[in-house]
Amino acid sequence: MDKDNFSDGGADPVARALADLAAGVIAVDPGGAIVLANPCAAGFFSPVDPVGLRLRTLFSLAGVADPESLAEAVEADGARIRLLDGRVLEARSRPASCGGQAITLIDVTRYVHETQRASRDPLTGLANRLEMSERIEALLSVHRRDPGSAALLVLDLDRFKAVNDTLGHPVGDALLVKVTERLRSAVRQGDVLARLGGDEFAVLLPERPQPAAVEALAARLVDLIGRSYVVAGHMANIGVSIGIALIPEDGEEAEKLLRHADLALYRAKSGGRGRYRFFSAGMNEAMEARRTLELDLRRAVALKQFEMVYQPQFDLEHNTLVGFEALLRWNHPVRGLVSPGEFVPLAEEIGLITSIGEWTLRTACREAAGWPREVSIAVNVSAMQFRSDASLLATVRSVLDATGLKPSRLELEITEGVLLNDTDRTLEILHALKALGVRISMDDFGTGYSSLSYLRRFPFDKIKIDQSFVSGSEDAHAVAIVRAVAALGASLGMRTTAEGIETHQQLARMRAEGCSEVQGYLTGRPMSAAAAAGILLEPAGPDDSPALHLASQKEFAA
Amino acid sequence: MNDVLHRLVYYSRNRIAGPPEQIDVIIAHILEVSRRNNERVGVTGALMFNDGCFAQVLEGPTVAVEQTFERIQQDPNHGDVLLLACEPVTARAFDNWSMAYVGRSTAGAARYGGIAGSTGFDPVTLTANDLFEILHTLTLEEEEAPARQSA
Repeated sequence: MDKDNFSDGGADPVARALADLAAGVIAVDPGGAIVLANPCAAGFFSPVDPVGLRLRTLFSLAGVADPESLAEAVEADGARIRLLDGRVLEARSRPASCGGQAITLIDVTRYVHETQRASRDPLTGLANRLEMSERIEALLSVHRRDPGSAALLVLDLDRFKAVNDTLGHPVGDALLVKVTERLRSAVRQGDVLARLGGDEFAVLLPERPQPAAVEALAARLVDLIGRSYVVAGHMANIGVSIGIALIPEDGEEAEKLLRHADLALYRAKSGGRGRYRFFSAGMNEAMEARRTLELDLRRAVALKQFEMVYQPQFDLEHNTLVGFEALLRWNHPVRGLVSPGEFVPLAEEIGLITSIGEWTLRTACREAAGWPREVSIAVNVSAMQFRSDASLLATVRSVLDATGLKPSRLELEITEGVLLNDTDRTLEILHALKALGVRISMDDFGTGYSSLSYLRRFPFDKIKIDQSFVSGSEDAHAVAIVRAVAALGASLGMRTTAEGIETHQQLARMRAEGCSEVQGYLTGRPMSAAAAAGILLEPAGPDDSPALHLASQKEFAA
Repeated sequence: MNDVLHRLVYYSRNRIAGPPEQIDVIIAHILEVSRRNNERVGVTGALMFNDGCFAQVLEGPTVAVEQTFERIQQDPNHGDVLLLACEPVTARAFDNWSMAYVGRSTAGAARYGGIAGSTGFDPVTLTANDLFEILHTLTLEEEEAPARQSA
């Protein structure tokens, strides 16, 4: 059969219908060659004549992207074909009764464009982000002629990801639909609801009531959305945080209003979730400051503005220097010395902590490996490194290999925050690190939950008692706690280090309470790697290492 | 899905304010509406009301229980809803009750008063099972009460 069969005025009604069909029809023989293309199909690929070609050749000649895999997809079941002129065809293939395949081609260009321009979110039926922007712009243009006030609420669900991850996407989607129903039940007719994406929603109140009423709505939404859900037989608990921007005071463009409401939302979230915040100009400045810090921090990694300093640790039984804790310093040309307390949380948030952490580990191990005596070197590892660095174990192994540092000299200090999440996986990594010969210390003990179960679940080599208990050593309770932790450490076979020793009195007290090691300004300030190496060369104490002679503390000072 | 039965237990703090007579009227209304709705969707269960708290057991087809609970969640009269349990069950426990009410009967009140006295209806000490057992026992007693009277 060739094209002429279609144009002979058609005694055959089937052939006639095929010729008039508004859909393209192509028949492929069992060998893969096209044996028939009705005029509509031929028209799609004009001027290329499909008959006699294989599908992939046809697509290739017609200039369709990735012709080989597209042809495969069409032959297997079906696919969308995007033609050079922008038209989109929906191709469906079915096995033909006489062998080979029958393929239909339908022009879905208009449908595709409409969906792309769709103003509705298909899952919830709410306005999408684009539509919301347009509604805000429309409202603002009304206000330009006829001044009025309105309010924009941006909502972000708390813990939604956890529900989605544990119960699966279908349940997550059903939950979003339920959230939508609750939103609908709480707003008034005329208010605009939108799903901005993921688990983010927005409410535009075009006829803004008094701020107190906006606040009442926000409070109602926090309560309502935060109530338990039952979805597909599962109980689910989520919350919502809300940022509010007022119109016109907080902006006169949709984009700016959404951004300001977002800033307020960010504050609501960082303030502890499940709450609402109104935008204020100060948030802009704070965000600006944070943004510059972030920029500087990203640069710092590249410009090598970080350096390591080392604070000595002394054994109280033998009065000898037994090691150093490696501390990270950021020396910024304009900011000066930036405290880790200021930049580490940000580095964790923006995901820089993994590379900074690796640099810290590598530098500390390399420098310590070059020291004249084999003392221990303690390096801090943040909870985020355990979470985000899937290869923390591999990193440690490679650093030890590359620097030649004996694994037994390396001590990783972790806080209990590390054990709060995904404990089984974390314990697995910790055991694997220990199997390498690396030692593990529990840092800042006494400041967080200080759960004894952590001490039971992992055989830490050392407990570091937080300095607040040392500086509070005039306080009977603090002393009692130090004594208890020292005793606990002794009976569990873990060493105990008292941090932040600043006075002779504190040193004597920690010794009396049974701590095994001390660290602090009194016994040595943080110093450069070279100074640390220098100290290690000093005349030895009783045990052939620099002694804890308090008279020599000045020399320890960097 | 419709064949699967689910039982859900929750309680919530009462946001109904007013003198006892007014509260009675409101509760009667709540019961009337919930009985009507429940019958239509095949949900059975029991409601307990006492100074400050509702406790309710809902049982029926999963979807119906879910929708009923969602309607309750959207009701401003329910505050601090604590969902205690939602699990598949093989049989109904409140077969004969579109919504049994055990807040008013003297026996129930006395029994319930005892619970409230000892626990203060404290979410921490009362488990879903406790609540379910209490409601179940009380409704069984109510079912038997007329029989005893006529005997």
